[in-house]
Amino acid sequence: MIYDCQPDIGGVPVAHIHLPDGSFTLTWVLVWWFWALVLVGAALLLARRTKQIDPGKITIAAFVTAASFAIFQVQIPIAGGVHMNLTPLIGILAGPVLGALVVFIVNILSAAIGHGGWGLVGANVLVNFSEVLAAYITYRGLKRVTSSLFSRAGIATFAGLFVGNIAMMGIILISGIQGVTQTTSQILVGLSLLAAVNMGVAVIEAIITGLMVEYIGRVRPEILDGDRG
Amino acid sequence: MTGFGEMRGLLIFGLILLIIVIVSLAAYLVTGPMGIEARYSHAVGMPAEEEEPGGGWFGFSLEGNPLLYVVILVILGIICLAAYLRWRKQEAR
Repeated sequence: MIYDCQPDIGGVPVAHIHLPDGSFTLTWVLVWWFWALVLVGAALLLARRTKQIDPGKITIAAFVTAASFAIFQVQIPIAGGVHMNLTPLIGILAGPVLGALVVFIVNILSAAIGHGGWGLVGANVLVNFSEVLAAYITYRGLKRVTSSLFSRAGIATFAGLFVGNIAMMGIILISGIQGVTQTTSQILVGLSLLAAVNMGVAVIEAIITGLMVEYIGRVRPEILDGDRG
Repeated sequence: MTGFGEMRGLLIFGLILLIIVIVSLAAYLVTGPMGIEARYSHAVGMPAEEEEPGGGWFGFSLEGNPLLYVVILVILGIICLAAYLRWRKQEAR
């Protein structure tokens, strides 16, 4: 099944999985959109189960949404051009439930301004959510290992972005790319090199996230306490 | 755990950072300098997208429509302010 429509807003037909619309068949576009909507639905259900969502959590979710959207669109002149998305910070501060909603909103807004095709929003929400979840689990799991908030947040960022790259590779390999002659193993090698370069920016993101979490821990430690999300 | 725990965390962080820098640099030397879209296209064997002409500030550039970016950012800012004021009001009670 051939699916080919290039977004014409802004002229940059790429998403977090930086491929143009039409790279995946319509079937796979719908599959990833379906699972992304299931994820968002589950997050909404879990959020509704909480009798009264703490307004503090809502505020934090709003701030990380704005920060993530703002930084997501900025291409940084490193290794030819990369961008950060702050998903590990979303996981640490907002937790996985609100985090799922945040990454969905950020991806929708990004597609709305022309950064990314609508067809890849579903896949990118899943990639970003895997980063949120991995960072959240790692950050909390490291509590018994180290008391340093900077280290916990930094290592959680590395873990989140590593898992995100694996998810990105998995989604591309499962879906396949339309109109290319490369074998799966050739694509795997290409994506592995891409993921390795991508991880370079994780160093900057880890340091920024570490510093932010350490600062928050100093001035408003209650934001980092308890079971968020 | 304060002193030792903190040092242990920093050591683990530093070790991971070092490994990532080495692996990332090696991968970069193999693939060479290219924009993010070109890097993706190259990785999966698609014809490279035409790169956007330069611009931006000191190499930093915006992806997508700049006007819509600012509009959405302002709306998000207003939502943040409203959420923050509501939080402060509840905390004061």
